[in-house]
Amino acid sequence: MNQSEPTEQVCNDAEQTPPAIRLSGISKSFANGNHTIEVLKNVNLTVPSQAIVGLIGASGSGKSTLLNIISGILKPDRGQVCICGAASEEFNDWRSVSYMFQDDRLLPWRTAIRNVEFALEAGSIAKTERARRALQALQLAELGSFEEAFPYQLSGGMRSRVALARSLVTEPRILLMDEPFSRLDAQTRSLMHEELLRVYQLKRMTVVFVTHDVAEAVLLADQVAVMSARPGTIREVVEVTPPRPRDITQPEMTSYMQRLRALI
Amino acid sequence: MYRRDRFVAQESNELIDDTLLAQPLSRRLRLDLIGERLALVAVVIGIWWFASLSMPHYILPGPVRVWDALQLIAANGDLWNNLGITLWRVAVGFVFAALVGMPFGIVLGANKRAGEFFEPVIPVLNTVSSAIWAIFAIIWFGISNATTIFVVFMTAMPLIITNVWQGTRTVNPDFIELAHVLRMPRRKVMTKIYLPTILPYFFSGARLAFGFSWRVSLVAETIGSSSGVGYRLRQAADLIKTDQVFAWTLTLVIMMATIEMGIMKPLENYLFRWKKDVEPQ
Repeated sequence: MNQSEPTEQVCNDAEQTPPAIRLSGISKSFANGNHTIEVLKNVNLTVPSQAIVGLIGASGSGKSTLLNIISGILKPDRGQVCICGAASEEFNDWRSVSYMFQDDRLLPWRTAIRNVEFALEAGSIAKTERARRALQALQLAELGSFEEAFPYQLSGGMRSRVALARSLVTEPRILLMDEPFSRLDAQTRSLMHEELLRVYQLKRMTVVFVTHDVAEAVLLADQVAVMSARPGTIREVVEVTPPRPRDITQPEMTSYMQRLRALI
Repeated sequence: MYRRDRFVAQESNELIDDTLLAQPLSRRLRLDLIGERLALVAVVIGIWWFASLSMPHYILPGPVRVWDALQLIAANGDLWNNLGITLWRVAVGFVFAALVGMPFGIVLGANKRAGEFFEPVIPVLNTVSSAIWAIFAIIWFGISNATTIFVVFMTAMPLIITNVWQGTRTVNPDFIELAHVLRMPRRKVMTKIYLPTILPYFFSGARLAFGFSWRVSLVAETIGSSSGVGYRLRQAADLIKTDQVFAWTLTLVIMMATIEMGIMKPLENYLFRWKKDVEPQ
């Protein structure tokens, strides 16, 4: 990871395996009435393939905006987004990039399994195949026996698992998560962390998640990118080297947390 | 008003509940309910019978007399013919109302400018009495099927538009964003997010409209038709065959109740079983 990389317009630069995500010189402003607010300014970030990267920063530092730019639903004003070695504008395999929202966003009129299937319905996969994959994803999220339950019948944690299964059913190479577990209680949240790491061990995708929780960042990430507030830039990237599973009560982890807190 | 509805809809999406599968209504409870309903019917018939004892039969015919009249009109085919004609007219008017009301409601809800422009039209349409539509219909269509169909249409259509319009405004933008992130084509967003959101609103509008249609069709048939239940009702009243008036009325009540409880309610329970507040089957 190199945060002070010069802006370049080439995504594929003869590297053996291109990074999953490379952001060079990303800037983004929003118009607010008469004046514009500069949300991101010259953001450079490289996310290696199959790494877990946490984005952390004060609120208003543009973490979610950055995630939306990576996912292609927002266009940057300036700069270049490269996904798997292709320029974002030319990248055409967006269905291998999953996005998990802050809330579960389950469609209330669909059962758990049909909610998971929803992610496959953008394409043209046969119905039986969709159902088979959706069931697999639910089983991966350890919710196999609740496939026919409607969202209102599920607890917050279970709904989060369904949302996770929906993000995984497309077999993503990149999983983007915007404070995915922030609405859960502490206990359920820590279960979901284990869940995510277990799935990560099995599937080995690239994960980028936004969080405002230092403990969560240190627990999950290989690298934590700290963002400064408005305009948002990457202030520093901290490598978290201890092997997972990690115990945040260990002194080593505590010192990481202190370091990150000082940076925010 | 719309804003409040939308708030409620969103809030209910976010409700987190730990209860697994709600308990189905137990069989025992259901038997009790059937017993209660039957008792209620018995009480009403009892009071009716008792009241009829002290009245002349052309003012208030007793249950037995009405039953005989009912058997008479059923035996000579009068009942089924006229019921069929009325039902057909209601159905045609209602289907037209749904076909026009659904797309109009969606357009008005999805297009803010169109919505603001047409907003006053709906309350105006709703305040026009069905009797006025019936009079217009006679002027325009004379004594024909079209008269009843038109009145049903003009009554049901604004109700369906209003409800679908309201439903369109409750579409959750978060779900649209989800579909966007999944790169879902616009056509699929319509069928997979807009339609399921609107359906409960359409359904409650349609149910209301259907009930109105029945009542209104009778008014229309009374003054603008030479067949149908409404026409027969008036004819029986003109000839002071009060027992037949009762028989027709009874038929209508039973018919409405059958459609409501036998088709509408179970259909609604099935379609909206994902809603927490609807009793399971």
